[in-house]
Amino acid sequence: MRNSFIGSIVAVAALLACSPDAVAQRPLTLYQKLLAAGNTGGPAPKRDLTGFWTGPLTPKMEEKPPLTPLGQQRFKANVPDPFSEQSNDPWATCDPLGFPRSSTNETRGVAFAQMPGRLVILNQYQRTFRTAWMDGRELPKNIGAKGGPNANWYGYSVARWDGDYTLVVNTVGLDERSWMDRRGYPHSEDLRVEERYTRVDHDTLDLTLTVEDPKMYTKPFVLATNRYKWIPDQEDEEQVCVPSEAIEYRKLIVIPADQDKAKGKK
Amino acid sequence: MVVLAATLAWAQGTTPVRPGQVEQRSPSLYERLLSTGPGGPAPRRDLSGSWAGPLSAKEGEAPPLTPLGQARFKLNVPDPFSAHSNDPWGTCDPFGFPRSATSESRRIAFGQMPGRVLILTGYQKIWREVWMDGRELPKNVGAKGGPDPAWYGYSVGHWDGDYTLVVETTGSDDRSWVDRRGYPHSVDMRAVERYTRVDHNTLEMTLTIDDPKIYTKPFVAATNRFKWIPNQEDEEQMCVPSEAIEYMKVIGIPANQDQVTGKK
Amino acid sequence: MMRKHVISLVLLVGFMILSAPLFAHHGNVAYDTSKAVVLKGATVTKFVWANPHTFIMFDVKDEKGNVQHWSGEAGSPSALRLLGWSQSSLQAGDTITVYIYASKTGNPVGRLNRIVLADGTELKDSALGYREVE
Repeated sequence: MRNSFIGSIVAVAALLACSPDAVAQRPLTLYQKLLAAGNTGGPAPKRDLTGFWTGPLTPKMEEKPPLTPLGQQRFKANVPDPFSEQSNDPWATCDPLGFPRSSTNETRGVAFAQMPGRLVILNQYQRTFRTAWMDGRELPKNIGAKGGPNANWYGYSVARWDGDYTLVVNTVGLDERSWMDRRGYPHSEDLRVEERYTRVDHDTLDLTLTVEDPKMYTKPFVLATNRYKWIPDQEDEEQVCVPSEAIEYRKLIVIPADQDKAKGKK
Repeated sequence: MVVLAATLAWAQGTTPVRPGQVEQRSPSLYERLLSTGPGGPAPRRDLSGSWAGPLSAKEGEAPPLTPLGQARFKLNVPDPFSAHSNDPWGTCDPFGFPRSATSESRRIAFGQMPGRVLILTGYQKIWREVWMDGRELPKNVGAKGGPDPAWYGYSVGHWDGDYTLVVETTGSDDRSWVDRRGYPHSVDMRAVERYTRVDHNTLEMTLTIDDPKIYTKPFVAATNRFKWIPNQEDEEQMCVPSEAIEYMKVIGIPANQDQVTGKK
Repeated sequence: MMRKHVISLVLLVGFMILSAPLFAHHGNVAYDTSKAVVLKGATVTKFVWANPHTFIMFDVKDEKGNVQHWSGEAGSPSALRLLGWSQSSLQAGDTITVYIYASKTGNPVGRLNRIVLADGTELKDSALGYREVE
């Protein structure tokens, strides 16, 4: 894997170096351009992430989440790939991605805004927001219990600064219907998520997302890591998922194309 | 009928009433807050925080529609609980703007970012961005070479005095409805929201629409009043398409509201 | 000079590969990507600019003069925008030439390689648009 990886870089580079015009170039995304440019924009401001950031389509994911037997069972029940007719991916009808999937699937844009006593995390895909309380309040302990709050799609979050450049966000109360990512890794209502956002310099934001769910996974693990870059003109891009269009797409493309038959899956 | 009532109540977010039970619906947070006082004078140029509103804004009377407007209005069949409705809400399609300001207004919040105000709508947990740096609204939205229409449009804003935030929006995708009555709009619609902080606890909104392609004159499409939430708590309200689809299959179509009400 | 050029390109491509998702976005296994079917004089009936994928519905006459109703999918709006597509690129009634990788089932559905508008503008698909067509 490593050798072919390096080999392919060298091969493409050589091709580009010899005759840049001979091979048609797929245009780079803003994110790819910014990564390649590698600007720092100066030192990171203290305790400030506000503004718009661009990221890749998907972060780097842990390849083998350590499932418990119950986790295995639930994982088997999730059939990913919304382009397959047999999939039961809620994304196929544009159901809310929920958290943490909003940070592991379609991560082209994220933003942070201030509100009194809290930080708001804005997802570009589906245009949803999450609230992270910073006023010292604790996470709710009685999720789903009588008189307690219900688990929901985006959960309950609190955040604090670890030093001046790392924001730590902790989240609980996540409805178990959401998948953790597009591969279909499941979670229970007891899931606890920790995001660590480190502003490396003015233009660079690194994320480490750790999950803990003893019912589903044998130990806590880093589900995803990501790197975002500051958007120079701060313009975002609207990305919505329209259920009626997704349904039409399924009817007109997914079902007739019958990918599962082509793959020999049925 | 009980199941239908229960599901309708679910859709409206209230507690279902059992048959024979005298309706003792507990007041919503908004209804309880209506009787709270001003909480002091309004801070200057500051709407940030969470506000509670009624289920929907008060919809205004539309002026006569243009011929194109009438043709478009006829195509929209409201009432997502009817099997014959084509209300995009029936599949939880994005409300878009301006409907996010007229339908389902139980929660609204305002946040800050450099050079921008964020408007956060509780229903569907949607954010809109308002540029406050003096830039103009884009032109040629939807025209060849121009920016694409957006479900939530393009917004710029400014303060009118110290207590009224004025938000101007254009370029809204014309698939979205103005409100749940099914009034249409074009991409060229220019909408103005005026949010006036009357006192610390009270925020009033007026939404005016100017869309000559569809309406023969500008009009006030909606007004609303919000109250400051004492503990500033959020409430998640999501519309889940797979649930809405199942609802239609299990309830909407069998209940056959249109046949019952004599519409078919 | 040349060496520096190669090194920066290696780094660039390296970043691109590193930022590519581990889990492939869409395998396109349903389609015969060994050859693109060319459909000239296609009339657009609907253009849906949407997530997860954009798609075009279009009518084409076969050799016998019968109208075939096709559907062709392409990438997401975010991906296609980079290649010059926009929501206003197409509307019902437009005449286009379609290069499409057809479904292995024989149904008139496929993934676009590219379309060519009446004015000659070429719009490639984000995933399969950079393959050579006959």
